[in-house]
Amino acid sequence: MLIPHPLLGLRDAQEFTYLGDAALMNRPDPDAPGAEAAFCDYVFLRDNPAGVHRELWYHEQGDRSWLVVTRNTLTHEILGAELASDVKAGAAQ
Amino acid sequence: MTDLFPVTALGDSAPRNARFGALTLSENAGLALASLALRKGQAAPAPFGLALPEVARAVTSGPHGAFWTGRGQWMIEAEGLAETDFAAALQGQAPGCAVTEQTDGWVAFEIASDTGAPLEALLARLVNIDPRTLGPGCCVRTGLEHMSVFVLRRSETRLAVIGMRSLAGSLWHALSQAARRLED
Repeated sequence: MLIPHPLLGLRDAQEFTYLGDAALMNRPDPDAPGAEAAFCDYVFLRDNPAGVHRELWYHEQGDRSWLVVTRNTLTHEILGAELASDVKAGAAQ
Repeated sequence: MTDLFPVTALGDSAPRNARFGALTLSENAGLALASLALRKGQAAPAPFGLALPEVARAVTSGPHGAFWTGRGQWMIEAEGLAETDFAAALQGQAPGCAVTEQTDGWVAFEIASDTGAPLEALLARLVNIDPRTLGPGCCVRTGLEHMSVFVLRRSETRLAVIGMRSLAGSLWHALSQAARRLED
């Protein structure tokens, strides 16, 4: 399986480690009302979609960047990859 | 006082060399390394006159060199300065940047060949990277027999593999075995 790294091009998936759902980037505000329930969801509950999924991969044997990879969990087809720092910066705007 | 003897990463008293057909492997014990990372929003400095390179590229200027290791991060190398406090020298050249001494964490093996073809044949056996994309002036960090290494194509006929110092013996074994098998 090859992952299209936005900076480095196609790289072997063995160079990466997998974390999970990219929604983990959206950590709830601990000071907001209902934070305990929000953190319960954040820590314990995951969607498990059969199909297109956005997930976090770490380029451990490479440039040590975090990527948001869009992958089809049924076919293992990789539909795209972005730098997580860019995704985070884009979401903050 | 105990008598202490300096040893190389491979535990020898002198850097190791070996020749396998067209390929020459040598341990580069004199290479000093320090990492340089920019702080948020900081402009890139030009330490020792080096124009810090773009993604997956390497540059050299005299005894100094720099290669890209990540966004806003480079490894700066200096030939023959391993015995000196190179990180302090680099910090003086790059005020405000995050500089970390790296010399003692890594081992560098230089591979030379009379022509480029044996180097590319060796790369094809060692790393899961298309050797044709690793032309002179390119560098890449990748896995080599489960070890994390930097591969630098210093020129058409010269290649450097920089790996973790504690795995120097395994890395030498991997490189020398692959080079020896290319002789057959």
